[in-house]
Formats: sequence, C-alpha cells, structure tokens
Amino acid sequence: MTDSRLNEKQQQSDGSHEPKTRAYGSVANVKRIIQNIKRMSRSKKIDISGKILLFLPTVMSISIIVLIFTFLWIEAFPIFVAPEGGIGIITNPIWNPNDGQYGILVFIAGSFLCTILAISIAVPLGVGGAVFLSEYCPNSLRRPIRMIVEMMAAIPSIVYGLWAYLVLVPTIETIFNVQNGLSVLAGGLILAIMLLPTVVAVSDDALQSVPRTYREASLALGATKTETAIRVVLSAAIPGIGAAIILSLGRAVGETMAVLMVTGNTLQIPYTLFDPTYVMTSIITNQLGYAFIYPLWRSALFAVALVLLLMSIMFTSIAKILIKWGIKSRGLA
Amino acid sequence: MKSDYEYHIEIENLCTWFGEKQILKNITCYFEDSSVTAIMGPSGCGKSTLLRSINRLNDLVDSFRMTGKIMLQGENIYAPDADVYELRRRVGMVFQRPNPFPMSIRDNITYGPRLHGLHDSDELERIVEHTLRRAALWDEVKDNLDQPALNLSGGQQQRLCIARALSIDPPILLMDEPVSALDPISAAKIEDLIMQLKKDYTIILVTHNVQQAFRVSDQAAFLYLGELVEFDKTKRIAEAPEDPRTEAFITGRIG
Ligand SMILES: Nc1ncnc2c1ncn2[C@@H]1O[C@H](COP(=O)(O)OP(=O)(O)O)[C@@H](O)[C@H]1O
Ligand SMILES: [Mg+2]
Repeated sequence: MTDSRLNEKQQQSDGSHEPKTRAYGSVANVKRIIQNIKRMSRSKKIDISGKILLFLPTVMSISIIVLIFTFLWIEAFPIFVAPEGGIGIITNPIWNPNDGQYGILVFIAGSFLCTILAISIAVPLGVGGAVFLSEYCPNSLRRPIRMIVEMMAAIPSIVYGLWAYLVLVPTIETIFNVQNGLSVLAGGLILAIMLLPTVVAVSDDALQSVPRTYREASLALGATKTETAIRVVLSAAIPGIGAAIILSLGRAVGETMAVLMVTGNTLQIPYTLFDPTYVMTSIITNQLGYAFIYPLWRSALFAVALVLLLMSIMFTSIAKILIKWGIKSRGLA
Repeated sequence: MKSDYEYHIEIENLCTWFGEKQILKNITCYFEDSSVTAIMGPSGCGKSTLLRSINRLNDLVDSFRMTGKIMLQGENIYAPDADVYELRRRVGMVFQRPNPFPMSIRDNITYGPRLHGLHDSDELERIVEHTLRRAALWDEVKDNLDQPALNLSGGQQQRLCIARALSIDPPILLMDEPVSALDPISAAKIEDLIMQLKKDYTIILVTHNVQQAFRVSDQAAFLYLGELVEFDKTKRIAEAPEDPRTEAFITGRIG
C-alpha cells in the first residue's frame, strides 16, 4: 500500500515540472479512457461495470466504519480532555454524573465478564450440540432440530429478556439460595442461551462440510465414531467453528435488551457471579435520554460506546488471529 | 485345493445391496498371503464396494445390506460378535483421492498408533521414520515433519496415506485406485512401492487400468456388472482370458 502511494506521489511530482502539459495530459487521459471504454467489447464492459459495482459496497462499508469512529470520537472527545475525565475514566470505578464522577470501569468489567461467561458456556455447549447433530443424529431427526434451532435464533432479544426475568432469575435465586438473582450469572446465562442457536447452526454447517473421506480414513484406521468426530472432524472444522465464535462474540458484547433486564443495573464491580452489575450497553440505553443535563455526561456515554466498539473489535481480532493460526497449522486453504 | 497357502481372506457367496439395487452378485474368491491381487473392471461394476466390504466400510451406508461370508484368517468378519474396530486395525486402506488429515505430517502417521494406545514418544518417532521410509517419502519430508500434510503434492500426499495405513502394521492393505488421481510420475512411484510392499503385505488393489494390473499383480479378478467373471493368476488371464467379456475389457473394447 505504501508503495503505491509513493508511486502516486512520484508521478504527481513528475508531472508538476510542466504544469501546462499536465493539465492538458489529464484531459487527454480522460478522453482516451472514454474512447477505450467505447471500443471495448460487450463482455469487457460488463466485466468493468461489475467490478465497479462490487467495489462500491466495499468502499461504502469502509467509509461507514470510518464515519462511525469519527462520530464517536467527536462526541466522546470532551470527556477525554475535561479535568473530571481524561483517559483515567476507564480505570475509575465511580460513576456519579451529579458529582462530576465519570468512571466507566464498572461497565467495562460488567460487559467483559458477561461476555466471557456467555462465550465459555455457549461455545462448548453449542459445538457439542453441533457434533451430536452432524455426526450422530439420523437425518430424520436432524432436520427438525435444525429448524427449531434456526427459529430460536430469530426470537427477538426482548423476548429472551422477559423470559429470563420471569424464569431464569427466580430459578437462580432458588437453586443457589441467593436473595437477588439479578446478576452477572443471569446476564451471562441468558446471553449464552441467545448465542447457542447461532453457534450450533454455524458449527453444524462447518462439520457437515468436512469431506467424508477424512471420516473414512479415520474409521479405516480402526477409530470409533466418537474418536473420528473429535480428533478429525472437529479439528478439520476449526475455521467454520471459529466463524461461529466470532459471530457470537460480536453479538455478546453488543447485546442490550436481555442483559439490561437481568443484570440488576447496579453501579458496582462484581466480585462473584452472583453480584449484580451494569454493562456498557445498559448504561447508554438507560441514561442517554437525560444525559443532556451535563454536557460531559453525554460525552461520557459516547466514550462508553467507543470503548464498547474497541472491545468488540479486540475480541473479534483475537479470535481471528487464533483461527488464522489454526487454519495455517492445518494447511487448510 | 488351497492347502498350500495360508489364505488371508476368503470370500464366499458375497451379495451386497444398496437399497433395492444389488451391486455384487455371488462373489466367491480368496486372497493369498504376501501377494498382490488386482481387481479390474469398468467403473460402476462394484470394485470399490467389494473392497469396502472387506474392512466393513460399507457399514457406514444406511441402505447397505449383504449376505454371504468374508473370512479373515478363518473368522467371519460379519459374524454378530465380530469386532469391527479390531478388523480395521488388521486391514489398512488407501483411497482413490489422497486424503491426509488436515494435520502435520507427523500427526498423520501417529494418529493410528495413538488411537490404539501407544503414547511412548520414542516409539512413535520410530514408527514415523519407519513407515515414511517404507512409503519412500522419508527423504522428501524428514525436515518438515511438523508442516501440514496438505501442503504436500498430490503424489506425496498419497504416499503419506500409504505410510499412515502402514502405521498400525496391518497384514492386509486395500488400495482403491490409488494412482488414478495422480500424474504419471507419481503413479509410477506408487506402483514401485506396491511391488516393494507385497513381500510383507497381502495387497488387494482395485484398478481401472489393465496394464497396471498386469504389471503389479500376482492374481487378478475381473468384475463385470457385479459378477466375478474371472479370477486366476494374472499371467494366465493376461495370456488367455477365458471369458469373452474379460477379453473385451483387456483389449479395451469395454470399460
Ligand atoms: N453409498 C452408496 N449408496 C448407493 N449406491 C452406491 C453407493 N456406493 C456405490 N453405489 C453404487 O454401487 C455401484 C458400484 O459402485 P462402486 O463399487 O463404487 O463401483 P466401482 O468402484 O467399480 O466404480 C454403482 O452403481 C454405484 O452407484
Ligand atoms: Mg471405485
């Protein structure tokens, strides 16, 4: 990339020796390009317009990401330069806008814990379920289960949240004999339940696309079905399963409604799974409506959003690096 | 009739079906110890099905049914109490398309032994070197044992698959058109290898290629539409095929 930029610069400076010819040259260039296009065969024209059409969405998605970052940065900027704020807000555990305290550590910790908990429940369970579906389930059973799983993925998160509030939270209270079931545990569990269908469906697809000959080679060496499923098929499906994990990481960090309803929204850093907490998405949703009272309050909420975005990117990048390494060490693609 | 040899495999009246469709029709034959038997025939005639009956890989297909017997050293491998995993440890298989696992070269070889409870790393290393040497691959890969097997060329991958099959030291080796997906040079290498291996293994080689069958095999079977048309010493079949269908196949008029 730097190379091509250098070339561009060089070309520009080369041209600037003779400004007149350069101006004339560019007009001639455009004319020539238009003529070239006119002379092109039909299929070539289609090819070029196809390329442009395909290129546009890429450019658009890149500019959207850049725009979002810029917009978050502009909105969050005041809190990072204010005396009450600064970069220190991310390590400050006290959030009290009325008192000029804008620490966002609680939300970072809450989101981080809920996400980690959800992923460490949903991934093993979901992948296990997918192995069962793909390797053991007869087709007659597999199809209806897949249909249910896909339907589960389509349930709105508010519905999951309501269910968790009415069923999951009281259940936690009874089972663990705690007074307040609104907790990190409830948040992590409901997130895990919401992620499960995606993990199962994507992993199942990945397992199904592992060539049959790998299974045959393993069985022909005297392996059992289970040994084959775990040591060969699962290992060969790592890239696809990785995709499932990335998808769910993104969703877990950003999920709002369900977590909002069951984590208790309490401004404290959770030390056990049964402590309530406050996640990043919840604080933004709950307080944006009246944050206009103090400009810094509003800005701090945008800072939370910025951290949320960075956290999400960080999680996905780590997952991607691990998956790349997995693909490379297996020689897949 | 057979008392001179210790026959490794005897097939008696084998019939197989996939669903309603009968694939093999009343096959009876035997495979000698330390020899290569070639199974020839046009595609679709049931060569692979016959081969995969011997290590019971057909059992994976839900619609598969069979009657008759396959005896391995005197025991019917389809007996209700037969141990299919034990059977497959004694019968190695090499497939038509090279199918090394997406793991390192070393892990491909140690997969089988580890599966069967061998964890001593010196012993595993010894097996890696020994089998790769037998498969004539050692010199090419000895410095890259930790590289992914899928980075090898097609011919190398197939030799790795042979080494992988040898890793659990099965007395019998099934090869299903092992060179048909390879370039001629790699194919010749693997043919040489088969000649080397036949001293120590009972090899059953499915091939579409008559010349190859004649070059490497001691006995040959000609399968046509699921029937065993001819089965005898390769030399005899090559010189004077008894059945007109065999002759037609050998001379290239069918197939
Ligand atoms: N898994 C299967 N299910 C149904 N039919 C099969 C299956 N495998 C093979 N067949 C059928 O059995 C016949 C013989 O196949 P195969 O043994 O692979 O032939 P060959 O190896 O001689 O080319 C073919 O008609 C094929 O369509
Ligand atoms: Mg075949």
